[in-house]
Amino acid sequence: MTSRLVVTPRAKPSMTVRAGVPFVALLVALGLGAVILGLTGAAPLTVYRTMFDASLNGARAIERTLTYATPLILTGLAAAVAFRMKAYNIGAEGQLFLGAIAASGLALQLPAGTPAVLMVGAMLLGGALAGALWAGFAAVPRAFLGTDEIITTLMLNFVALALMNYLIFGSFSFWRDPTRPVPQGNTIPDSAAMPVISGRLHVGFAIAVALAVLLWWVLRNTTFGFRVRTIGDSPRAARYAGIGVPFATLAVLAISGALAGVAGAIEVSGVTNRLDPKSLAIELGYTGIVIAAVARLNPLGVVPVAIFLAAIATAGGSMQSIGVRVEVVVMMQGLIFLSVTAGEFFVTNRIGLRPAGPPEPAVTAAAADALEGAS
Amino acid sequence: MAVRQGVDGVGGEADPVALAGGPPVSLRVDRISKSFYGVAAVDDVSVELHGGEIHGLLGENGAGKSTLCSMLVGLYRPDSGRIVLDGDEVHLRSPDDAAALGIGMVYQHFRLVESFTVAENIMLGRGTAGGRRARRAVEEQVDALASEYGLAVHPGAPVWQLSVGERQRVEILKQLSRGARVLILDEPTAVLAPHEADRLFDAVRLMVDKGHAVVLVSHKMQEILGHTDRVTVLRAGRHAGTGATASLTPAALNTMMFGNDLAGTDTTEGHTAQVPGEPVLTVSGLTVTGDHGRPAVDDVSLTVRRREIVGIAGVAGNGQRELHETIAGLRSPATGTVTTAALAYVPEDRLGTGLAPGLPIEHNLALRSFRREPHARRGVLRHRAMRETATALVDAFDVRGARDGMPVSFMSGGNLQKAILARELSEAHDVLVAAAPTRGLDIAAAEAVRRHLRSERDEGRGVLLFSEDLGEVLELSDRILVMFQGRLVGEFDRGSVDLDQVGLLMTGAAE
Repeated sequence: MTSRLVVTPRAKPSMTVRAGVPFVALLVALGLGAVILGLTGAAPLTVYRTMFDASLNGARAIERTLTYATPLILTGLAAAVAFRMKAYNIGAEGQLFLGAIAASGLALQLPAGTPAVLMVGAMLLGGALAGALWAGFAAVPRAFLGTDEIITTLMLNFVALALMNYLIFGSFSFWRDPTRPVPQGNTIPDSAAMPVISGRLHVGFAIAVALAVLLWWVLRNTTFGFRVRTIGDSPRAARYAGIGVPFATLAVLAISGALAGVAGAIEVSGVTNRLDPKSLAIELGYTGIVIAAVARLNPLGVVPVAIFLAAIATAGGSMQSIGVRVEVVVMMQGLIFLSVTAGEFFVTNRIGLRPAGPPEPAVTAAAADALEGAS
Repeated sequence: MAVRQGVDGVGGEADPVALAGGPPVSLRVDRISKSFYGVAAVDDVSVELHGGEIHGLLGENGAGKSTLCSMLVGLYRPDSGRIVLDGDEVHLRSPDDAAALGIGMVYQHFRLVESFTVAENIMLGRGTAGGRRARRAVEEQVDALASEYGLAVHPGAPVWQLSVGERQRVEILKQLSRGARVLILDEPTAVLAPHEADRLFDAVRLMVDKGHAVVLVSHKMQEILGHTDRVTVLRAGRHAGTGATASLTPAALNTMMFGNDLAGTDTTEGHTAQVPGEPVLTVSGLTVTGDHGRPAVDDVSLTVRRREIVGIAGVAGNGQRELHETIAGLRSPATGTVTTAALAYVPEDRLGTGLAPGLPIEHNLALRSFRREPHARRGVLRHRAMRETATALVDAFDVRGARDGMPVSFMSGGNLQKAILARELSEAHDVLVAAAPTRGLDIAAAEAVRRHLRSERDEGRGVLLFSEDLGEVLELSDRILVMFQGRLVGEFDRGSVDLDQVGLLMTGAAE
């Protein structure tokens, strides 16, 4: 007698499953990775040891990983809050550039003697406003005319990149260091540098985590969050409940853009210390979308996922330093990330065996849909 | 065989018997039955279809027409009974099986890829490679079929550019090009303007003259009377009768469709006489444009007063949905006005409009009250108060199967409906608009919903009830309005309902 695999959705996954599945998935990935590494002639255990040392073992490694994770947390939040409402802002990349342009501009413009708290505060605020404004160019047509925000936010990324490149490479702008022959951004004053927690790790990380908690709280505990969740689940039900969908769309896309703008400001203030297109245009915005998706659009989930991805990235650098080829590094990174992502399926669904019984009615969802409304 | 005169003289040229050289197709359905979850959708039905005739399939919503057709095209497998094609019993396991045997169906909701051309859509699903030469061949075949059957459509045009009528022709051509000899048309005129419908029937007549068998599924009596050769009526899943169309009168079909049992409905049970009060809902001169761009609601005026239930009787798709959605503020009227006191609304679409499917019960029950005390204070939600309200409502309305934090989409239809009622009736309101409130519910749940509607009325509020179940409308309503093609075509008081007249008005046969 044969059995059949049966997949049923879990109404409410338990904590054990939620925490256990990603861990098992990681082990599976490392097992598969060992095979690949073995085939390419590397010693898997040595490689894994190096990866662990570089990303997680010791204060320096952890500082490096968390610093790298900081902008990813923010762009992850930017995507999570917008996607939560089915407003697909994929423009965090460009909104981050605008935040960086605004923050570095303010740092260069304000008197160098301004107290650090005011200086950094102004940069964060300016970055947030610039990011929100950039998102607004897509949000207003979306909210009132129904324009597809996927296209507009994506296109604006290229505009923002071109603008940032122009300011440094294409002109003698206010942002460019006039003393150097090679184009480079002007260095911001010391008072504009983000205070440090420990080693390279700066206060920006704490700000990102605090914003994640704040966003989680707002979505969960305020009437605004209630609106966003309702619209995200069913815009028709929201309209029926008298929720103003256009206003909520504007607000959410502005918040999303502001978070990405803050990411840009924090990178300038805490890491690059100048408007540096080469270190800013590393797809932090697009990676945020992946992070939000894996975190199931939960702001609190964004933090560990961003740190995990940052750890894979820093570990990747160390693998190359011990002679693992870059192709294999990328393969390993992809393998780990894919396994953990695929594990999600087992969190939301229960897999069981059932003895083969009478066949199901041969009706598909599409067929049932076509018959809807008829008899 | 009741072959009629060919249209425009063209039909006469074709050989009415030959189809691909063989004898005319014959399909016999023999004592077929199908149940879902213990409810018989089709119960012991037998029908014979012959090449060369248009066979009407008539019945109310839920009479089993779609289930029967789904078995003919292999979507469902019968629980018992046989399907016999040209003398051989066939077992249809999928629509592909049915297509291979020459049985095809054109659904009410088209299945076309909008960005593909007509020819590409027709090639789709036939497994042919999409090379340029194959496409050319298909285009030529489409052209040939189109001119043979008078189904003019340009094979190279992308589907998104086509009108609804043209898209339907593409669907028919798709079936013909796959060699369909038995063609089932499900409510084909529901989306068509009158002149397009005439064109369709010209083409259908050509098909049967060439030996095809066509099944016309409809609940419009005039269409059945005007265009079919024989007709089979289903009622509540059972075979209510078959006969030559020429020998049937509207009254006879009406009796077959609705039966005599409605006349025996005890309309006084649980219904005490009330004197209606002041108006709580006034609709005047309302016209609403439907999704197909045609007026779905056409100059409708009505009034609902306190202490009365006004029932709208009508076959689905005659503008009821657009009417109640406009009253509820989900659509904007083209012209006319809606004046309403505080409104409670039970939408047709429970999951998606009435409830947010992915959110838990406590969220859904607070959809109307989340801005106010006790559910929120200064913009901050009070989860405990929301849960307490949810618990109280779940108790009071006997909603079962809800669990904390579980998306409501896991709950059954009856409990979803009770949850919507619980939320809507717990808000202050003067009038309740309920659309198909008992559709798909089991007997106990449906009765619970009806009890709520009656007590609304008895507590001094007005109720506007939309239902496809004529028996339900008759049982509950103080006044009955009949809706057909977007207009209110008749009004009856509870005491003076002429059942025959209602049935004829609903099917458009009474003009």
